[in-house]
Amino acid sequence: MHESEVQMESPPRVLITKIGLDGHDRGSRIVAAYLRDAGMEVIYTPPWQTIDAVVGISRQEDIDIIGLSSLATDHLIIPELMTTLTNEGLDAVRVVVGGIIPQNEIQKLLDSGVSKVFGPGTLREEIIDNVKSLALSAQKLKRQKWEEA
Amino acid sequence: MEEKRKRNQPSDIQSAHEEWQQSYQKQMGKQQVIRNRSGLEVDPLYSPADSNNIFFNERLGFPGQYPFTRGIYPTMHRGRTWSQRQLIGLGTPDDYNERVMKLLDSGTSAISLLPCNSTFRGLDCDEIQEVLLGTCGTIINTIDHMETCLAGVPIEEISTAMNDPLPFTLLAFLLGVARRRGIPWERITGTSNQSDYISHFVANHMFFRLSLTGSRRMLLDHIAFCREKVPNWNPVSVVGQHMQQAGATPAETMGFTLSTAIQYAEDCLVRGMDIDSVLTRFTFFFDISISFFEEVAQFRAGRRIWARIARERLGALDPRSWRFKFHGQTSGVDLTRQQPLNNIARVTTQAIVGILSGLQSMHTDAYDEAISCPTEEAARIAVNTQNILREEAHLCDVIDPLGGSYYIESLTDQMEVEINSVIEKIDAAGGMFKAVESGLVQAMIGESALSFQRQIESGDQKLVGVNCYQLDEDQEVEPAPYRPNPDAVKALAESFKEYKAARSKSTVQRAIDNLARAANSENDNLFEQVVTAAEKGVTHGEIVACLRRELGEGKPIIKA
Amino acid sequence: MDAMKQQKSISEKLFAKLQAGDVSALSYAIRAIENSEFESAEIYNRIKADIGRTAVIGFTGPPGVGKSTLINAYIDCIRSADQRVAVVAIDPSSPISGGAILGDRLRMATHIDDPGVFIRSVSNRGHLGGLCAAISGIINLIDVAGWDVILLETVGAGQSDTDLTDIADIKVVIQAPGLGDDIQAIKAGILEIADVFVVNKADMPLADRAMRQLQAMIDLRDDKNNRVPIVKTVATEGVGVDLLKAEIDLRSQKWKVVDRQARVKKRMHRLFAREVGRLMERKLASMNQSEFSQVYEKLILGDLKLNLLVERMVEELQEILGD
Repeated sequence: MHESEVQMESPPRVLITKIGLDGHDRGSRIVAAYLRDAGMEVIYTPPWQTIDAVVGISRQEDIDIIGLSSLATDHLIIPELMTTLTNEGLDAVRVVVGGIIPQNEIQKLLDSGVSKVFGPGTLREEIIDNVKSLALSAQKLKRQKWEEA
Repeated sequence: MEEKRKRNQPSDIQSAHEEWQQSYQKQMGKQQVIRNRSGLEVDPLYSPADSNNIFFNERLGFPGQYPFTRGIYPTMHRGRTWSQRQLIGLGTPDDYNERVMKLLDSGTSAISLLPCNSTFRGLDCDEIQEVLLGTCGTIINTIDHMETCLAGVPIEEISTAMNDPLPFTLLAFLLGVARRRGIPWERITGTSNQSDYISHFVANHMFFRLSLTGSRRMLLDHIAFCREKVPNWNPVSVVGQHMQQAGATPAETMGFTLSTAIQYAEDCLVRGMDIDSVLTRFTFFFDISISFFEEVAQFRAGRRIWARIARERLGALDPRSWRFKFHGQTSGVDLTRQQPLNNIARVTTQAIVGILSGLQSMHTDAYDEAISCPTEEAARIAVNTQNILREEAHLCDVIDPLGGSYYIESLTDQMEVEINSVIEKIDAAGGMFKAVESGLVQAMIGESALSFQRQIESGDQKLVGVNCYQLDEDQEVEPAPYRPNPDAVKALAESFKEYKAARSKSTVQRAIDNLARAANSENDNLFEQVVTAAEKGVTHGEIVACLRRELGEGKPIIKA
Repeated sequence: MDAMKQQKSISEKLFAKLQAGDVSALSYAIRAIENSEFESAEIYNRIKADIGRTAVIGFTGPPGVGKSTLINAYIDCIRSADQRVAVVAIDPSSPISGGAILGDRLRMATHIDDPGVFIRSVSNRGHLGGLCAAISGIINLIDVAGWDVILLETVGAGQSDTDLTDIADIKVVIQAPGLGDDIQAIKAGILEIADVFVVNKADMPLADRAMRQLQAMIDLRDDKNNRVPIVKTVATEGVGVDLLKAEIDLRSQKWKVVDRQARVKKRMHRLFAREVGRLMERKLASMNQSEFSQVYEKLILGDLKLNLLVERMVEELQEILGD
């Protein structure tokens, strides 16, 4: 994207992070690299972020999508994140989760507002396509929010 | 390769070889180059031409003889089988005790304790959402918790490995329990399995708590304390596991790990410790991946290189210092969530690799490890895997059975070259500590991880159930993941609060102040203060918080 | 596609919230400016009465001197003085995909929970010069939203940081001993742009020597009126950072004493040529190429000289202004 390109599409702004206790972030880093190579702007944080920190970053960075990685049991506090995002007026932000979520616990995440759960073996293209389309809808919601008088 | 072949072979073998080559070429036609994970090219066949018999004693030798390529002891598994050291960690201390007693009955000769992720992060059970407690390890925050974990366990006879990083509160609690039982600390054997703070910073796992420089001080104090007071404990375990799990190739993993060992040894020398007293208590901890022959070659090369480093570079005189002792854990990264029962086949393969590599103790993963903490049945299968390999497949009967294989000897030599080049790179960067500070190691690992991922994506590297031989997700019924009993966890959290309230505030405060003072004084042994504080009833979280304040908190060193 | 046609007005709602200091509004507005969604002239008109309050401080220096650590320590210092600080952290984009991994805020993690610190990660989107194309717009927005200080750290190694020279009110140039950069400082022209020098890692053995060399270089400059101080810091321990803030505040005070508009004027003076160039580039890119092909032909043949063309344009401009 050359800076003199006139109409710049708004590249998706994605926050790649981990909440909870686990620190295995190999998958996060790989997905961050994929998204960058697909032209997106990725804000990358180390693991062990608190829920408040994730919400604060999402606000400051005008994040479209939060990409959480959960391999152990940290997905159990994702519903708490979803509630906090809503309470803080950030419900336009979409949340996707990648990693290993036990089958019988996936629905609870979706019910709490998570847009998509990617299991291990999800192809890169699927991740990219989903993130792109979710980013578009997040951007649209934000635009509506701010541009209505 | 061609030149070497022509050089080494007597003429009758030579012509037979050429004949084979022609038939092979004719039938195969155009071939794709096959490389192992470390990037080395793998030929279809190895023969006498590939063997380097000239310097037999120098390069190979016999088990128990420098450079130990074939094994660090003369008898190896035939004399004494590897220790089965299965990790246990789940739920409350009662849950742990129940599991460990069953495991002791089923033939385990050594135990390993895995604390809860909250403990890894330096938090007590009242500092984190309850739903996260005890799901991946045992909640242990006090000396009383440790007492419960080890009720009925003869710690003076059984070797116990503690899997927490510095400041090693678990060992502190263990020593406190030993004192309560009147067991002298000389009888306590085991290892601080995760003492390698450098590896924690490199692979950014859940493990580091203190700053890099603070960790350096803490480890040295730990080594010094154990040498004197707990002489049969291994305070240093240099860990290759995290780096390989993060994506380092086997050659990189061994290279980085040996470089770390050099760094720690040199730090000890600077402290004035005698090199032999330090190295004799070094052990190593590696992941065993499913890349079969490459792993065996990695460990054989590792033994050879370490012997040379210990003797020539570090100047150790005691032959025990030259021995590369290692514990292997079958790699969880190779396991899949899809079709989990396949993991039994994977773990079996990895376990065979470990045994053929000549490890001293091993943990085999359970097949459901990718999804959750293992069920009892899965844990039992994991142990029996080792039993079957030993008793039925007779893998203990012959020492270094792959030795002499044209392939293995050739690959061992090649891996040695690769590993040495990694060590050279680290040396050029000023040693492992500096290399990690600068992010060099992390960058190298990240590249390897991405490269491997691309191979999986492209289908070059096939993973059964993932990118080939897949099943419809709906067809599979997944076992429900382990979750600790929420009532038991709640009860533990309650009793913990009561425990804290019941302590003498002044005693606790004094112990914490002493700890803080020791952290700011170069003359105090910090680990000694941790042990004292633990005995006085200070909790794990309180100890870690104090040290974080005084020594600085560990922060990931990420170059994105 | 003509960007000018696609641009829209900033809504009342957004503008009101921006003025009130609402972080979500600021955050959204920055994105919009980056993407040229708002007509920058229109925005400028609306905010021009409110800007000039914020001091823009730029930090530059070769890699390895400890810029991030120093900025972190400096943020602590600013917060202790009860001021609100914004940081614009710029990372390079991939030349192939245009995407970017923005990891700078990692190094400022201690300030995550502080409502008085606003950290924004920005991709430079291929822009050369050390910052990003939309930086003046972003600074103006943060200014309107009521932040006291903006900190900028440049992408480059100092030499190519032309942006910082124009955009920052105060430039802090950081050196550290033993990096072998003593010569580089002279070559890079860094001496000229610095308002304050910092020798970080001052606890290292070669620190005093680095200071003496720097001092000698400064003394060679003719400018006796503008004493450029050298501050010694150990950023990892927070040592010397108070002194740095004092020196920066001293220079920042000069603007406040005059008036806010003076700061804006000075900034505009520095930025004029750059902004004209940027808008020109965009305008040309949006136009039909054939419209200018004659001009290009003449330039290539040497029938038209570029410098003369620009002189003509400036004369025209002066005429317009004269009216």
